Amino acid sequence: MAFEKVLTRNVGNRDALTVKGYRQGGGYEGLAQALKMEPDAVIEEVKKSGLRGRGGAGFPAGLKWSFIPKGKDKPKYLVCNADESEPGTFKDRLLMEHDPHQLIEGCAICCWAVQANNCYIYIRGEYTDAADILERALKDAYEEGLLGGSVLGSGFKLDMYVHRGAGAYICGEETGMLESLEGKRGQPRVKPPFPAVVGAFGSPTVINNVETLANVPHIITRGADWFKAIGTDERNTGPKLYAISGHVERPGTYEHPIGVTFREMLEAAGGMYRGGNLKAFIPGGASAPILKADQIDIKMDFDTVAKAGSMLGSAAVIVMDDTTCMVRSVARLSKFFNHESCGQCTPCREGTNWMELLLKRLEHGEGRESDKQLLLSICKNIGGNSLCALGDAAIGPVRSLVEQFPEEIDRHVREGGCPFPHRRHFQNGA
Amino acid sequence: MPKVTINDRTVEVEAGTNLVEAGLKVGVQIPHYCYHPRLTVVGQCRMCLVKIEGMPKLQAACSTPVVKDGMVVRTDVPEVEEATQGMMEFFLINHPLDCPICDQAGECGLQDYSFKHGVAYSRFQYDDKRTYPGRERIPLGANVLLNMNRCIQCTRCVRFTQEIAGTGELGFFNRGARTEIGTFPGKELSNPLATCVVDICPVGALTSTRFRFAERVWYLDKRPSLCTGCEVGCNITLEHRRGDIKRYKPRFNPEVNDYWMCDYGRATFERYKQIPRLQAARLQGSAASASWQQTLDAVHHGLSTADGPVVFLGSPNLSTEEAWLFAQLADAVGSPHRSVPVDIGPERTIPNLKGGITGREAAPNRRGAELAGLSPGEGETIDVDDLILGGAAERCGALVVCDSDFSATAYSPETIEKLRRAKFLVVFGWADSPLAKVADVAIPTPTHAEKDGTFVNVEWRLQKFERAYPAPGQVRPAVDVLVELLARFDPQRWGKLDTPAVFDRIAAALPAFAGLSWRTLPATGVALNVPQAQPTAAATVNPETSQGQGGVA
Amino acid sequence: MSVSEPQPRLTGLPEAVRAEITEIRKRYPTDEAALIPALHLAQNAWGGWLPDEAIEAVAVELGLAPAKVYGVVTFYDLFHQKPVGRHRIRVCTNLSCQLRGSDEIMETLHQELGVDEDEVTQDGRCSYIHFECLGSCDTAPMMMVDDTYHENLTPAKVRQVLKGLK
Repeated sequence: MAFEKVLTRNVGNRDALTVKGYRQGGGYEGLAQALKMEPDAVIEEVKKSGLRGRGGAGFPAGLKWSFIPKGKDKPKYLVCNADESEPGTFKDRLLMEHDPHQLIEGCAICCWAVQANNCYIYIRGEYTDAADILERALKDAYEEGLLGGSVLGSGFKLDMYVHRGAGAYICGEETGMLESLEGKRGQPRVKPPFPAVVGAFGSPTVINNVETLANVPHIITRGADWFKAIGTDERNTGPKLYAISGHVERPGTYEHPIGVTFREMLEAAGGMYRGGNLKAFIPGGASAPILKADQIDIKMDFDTVAKAGSMLGSAAVIVMDDTTCMVRSVARLSKFFNHESCGQCTPCREGTNWMELLLKRLEHGEGRESDKQLLLSICKNIGGNSLCALGDAAIGPVRSLVEQFPEEIDRHVREGGCPFPHRRHFQNGA
Repeated sequence: MPKVTINDRTVEVEAGTNLVEAGLKVGVQIPHYCYHPRLTVVGQCRMCLVKIEGMPKLQAACSTPVVKDGMVVRTDVPEVEEATQGMMEFFLINHPLDCPICDQAGECGLQDYSFKHGVAYSRFQYDDKRTYPGRERIPLGANVLLNMNRCIQCTRCVRFTQEIAGTGELGFFNRGARTEIGTFPGKELSNPLATCVVDICPVGALTSTRFRFAERVWYLDKRPSLCTGCEVGCNITLEHRRGDIKRYKPRFNPEVNDYWMCDYGRATFERYKQIPRLQAARLQGSAASASWQQTLDAVHHGLSTADGPVVFLGSPNLSTEEAWLFAQLADAVGSPHRSVPVDIGPERTIPNLKGGITGREAAPNRRGAELAGLSPGEGETIDVDDLILGGAAERCGALVVCDSDFSATAYSPETIEKLRRAKFLVVFGWADSPLAKVADVAIPTPTHAEKDGTFVNVEWRLQKFERAYPAPGQVRPAVDVLVELLARFDPQRWGKLDTPAVFDRIAAALPAFAGLSWRTLPATGVALNVPQAQPTAAATVNPETSQGQGGVA
Repeated sequence: MSVSEPQPRLTGLPEAVRAEITEIRKRYPTDEAALIPALHLAQNAWGGWLPDEAIEAVAVELGLAPAKVYGVVTFYDLFHQKPVGRHRIRVCTNLSCQLRGSDEIMETLHQELGVDEDEVTQDGRCSYIHFECLGSCDTAPMMMVDDTYHENLTPAKVRQVLKGLK
């Protein structure tokens, strides 16, 4: 399995934090090349590569770029989604802290392709280190003429800024992010109109995840065909970062070709934590329905995971062994979604609150067997009816709990409490 | 214009019309809370979800515009009905069962949709209900009270203060299930239109302090009328129980006040209850109330044998019809001495789609009264300034005060003392004011709630209003009384006339009203054809030059 | 619980903050967009939290309605409206950290500091709260102290970190 690292090749190489060092590895060649191409040609190349969004939705990036109108009457914007708040996800942080110029280059190429002269990197407020590193890298890039009035002397003007968030998962939703960028509460907007038409400050805007943009320089320098050759099929292409955590020996971010099996991924991460037995895993962040241990050989790409009833999402893989109480785990996720709901729309605001209460009661043995049907009914009323996808995300784990682990719920009810002993990880105040 | 089909009914609408409005055009009422035709669409309550053919998920009707032909919409399918039931359930799980003590009962969005779209049982464990401790009766200003437990987070009130009032006192605070509305700590909801948020709040979260616990709404008789607070002439619904007015609410008129009215106007009905009523005709010196026969004979005699000028002190509160009859009376005794006093109050602007309408005069009908003939006639005349600032009343053979409540100065002892110096003082009015008490003849008239009539507003728009309930005691319509009085001067000309008939006579006599007829007056009023009529600017009319647009009488 | 307040008594935005906000405004086509950066600066100037006067000062500086700015402050988790002590500790208790012992980290803090969640210690030194995913699941359990991540925690490590807080 000699897979040559693409996105993480500079991790650990401190030289790459400077423009000089980054260039030594071939950095900013992609930007130089792109500036010699027609903007539409750049979009075509990205389309051809089959690059799908790495933030969670998996929407084809080139297609998204092509939605930006060509007219010059309104300025265009690129907003890089560095809000990374999906539980279990930490891959973007790695990219920003270790290879900021890869991201800057990717953003710059995208800006050229859609003719945007302004780019904001919206980074979650908690990532102070990454924000500082990006600020320093941007300063360096300006000084080296890679940003500013004439990028690499091409005459193309590009300004790029870091914009720090203030702690809200919902700001990772495209239009929630735009509202937050504009200085408001991060409440998602009614769509249509979509950001490609009415985005930041009323203007056409592309919003892409950090990892998505980090792929772009490589697609330009090495070609769409090279990119397509990596992965499962033409709808699931390219290298992918998988953030694996929970009950594994070596949690971390691992780069594999997209479509690696979960078994391989688990092995690469050192196998089960303290030799435990795999019970279940979440393939793509808190919103992804839970998969049971029998899915261990599943190919971790967008379409295969979707067919299995879940989603690859942000490829945040959370592994659970058989000491784990599924009710307690889903109750914690429910609490997360309730806390993060923006509160605008009725089904999410009231529904996530209700689900958290029900799951808390169940975990403490105060629930009823009929709560299973009630939870499914609430999920049905939220799903498809909320203003944005957070509602749909919140029901993912709850549904899979009731459908996959009903007997665990029943045990809580019958035994009047959680049947799983509370696990202690640290002995004697270690 | 594109066509859309809703529940098998097809209608053509302007491109861009949303489905809630399109539904109303074909009699399909799509339930909604957060949507309001004058506020930005937020699509957040999710009550208006409908099924659109070809789209897998339900769509919010308020944020779905009709742009081209062929959209097929259904609200009468199980998918939609179940979704609506689901939304209703979500609204009710944290809502307190306050109906028995809540002012909104009987006109409550939750009650109504619960009945129509909800289910009759609860699946929620009551002790989990979310509350906002300490936020159950928060004054948001002098006129509005907030009970945050009842709020359904539709944000209409927040959008109203931002977009319509433009003052932005209300905000949406916190996140998720803890979201609440409020003002910045220490600041108040203080804009002139503040109580409008109570109107647009679908539930009893925002209530009017004036109306709190005042009456159950199903006991209220609701009548269309006009506000008399100023010259804007906001259309209102006058809500009373057996003649006791409990509330004014704005009534939609896109030509005048749109959906709104100001707080000051809402309070103006209190006046009718604060000042004692003149309930029967009274002759000075006699203890018992006089008969109408005696009263009108006394007036006729007093005016015919007046030893000196006969002066008419009009009022901007008179209806156009009453004013015209007073002018006819002045003609009958050959008097050019007529005028209408003006009280200038603070400027009030009511937003509408034409840039807003502004009023400063604190009465509804100065223009109508002057057009109808109560502006000064030819030559040197005795007008309101001569009477109130000067001492002209002592020269008067007779002084007819058309309205005992003609302005604030009507109550000042100085004014009363001056006016009393007239040799013969007749006072008409609903208010048994100190001035009425010193009159030689006091004649009771109805308030605007107790009569039919028209007012002409600041934009020279004529608007009709109709009687909400009968006047008390022995009060007769002023129109009847004046016609009977006129008949004593000229029996040939004056038979029995009601207000509509008087109006039609005005239309025949005055060019400004040409072609109009009481029966066919449009519900939103009609712009009079006068040179001074400006569509948007508040006309500052000089009483001296406003006379006789095409002649009086 | 009495709290010593080392926060400066400010009347209005300090000049240095106003100067920074003026620079930041240039990055955006609207003044409103500078609001969240401005609030971060104001919160730092006021010692880690935003009293009403600070919120109003920012509103005035950017020409925004105070109620609207209040709505923004109360929406986000990183803005605090009461004193947080000299050091603010945020412990991730989301799923990946829960699976690796975040409960025990919270217990340790409770023991060592002697206060409940969201309360400031007697000496005004610090306060702690549980928090949502901080994007460090591979080093679970972990916590954030002010702007620094402390990862791969054990109760002993927590005690060590606390010792270093003045």
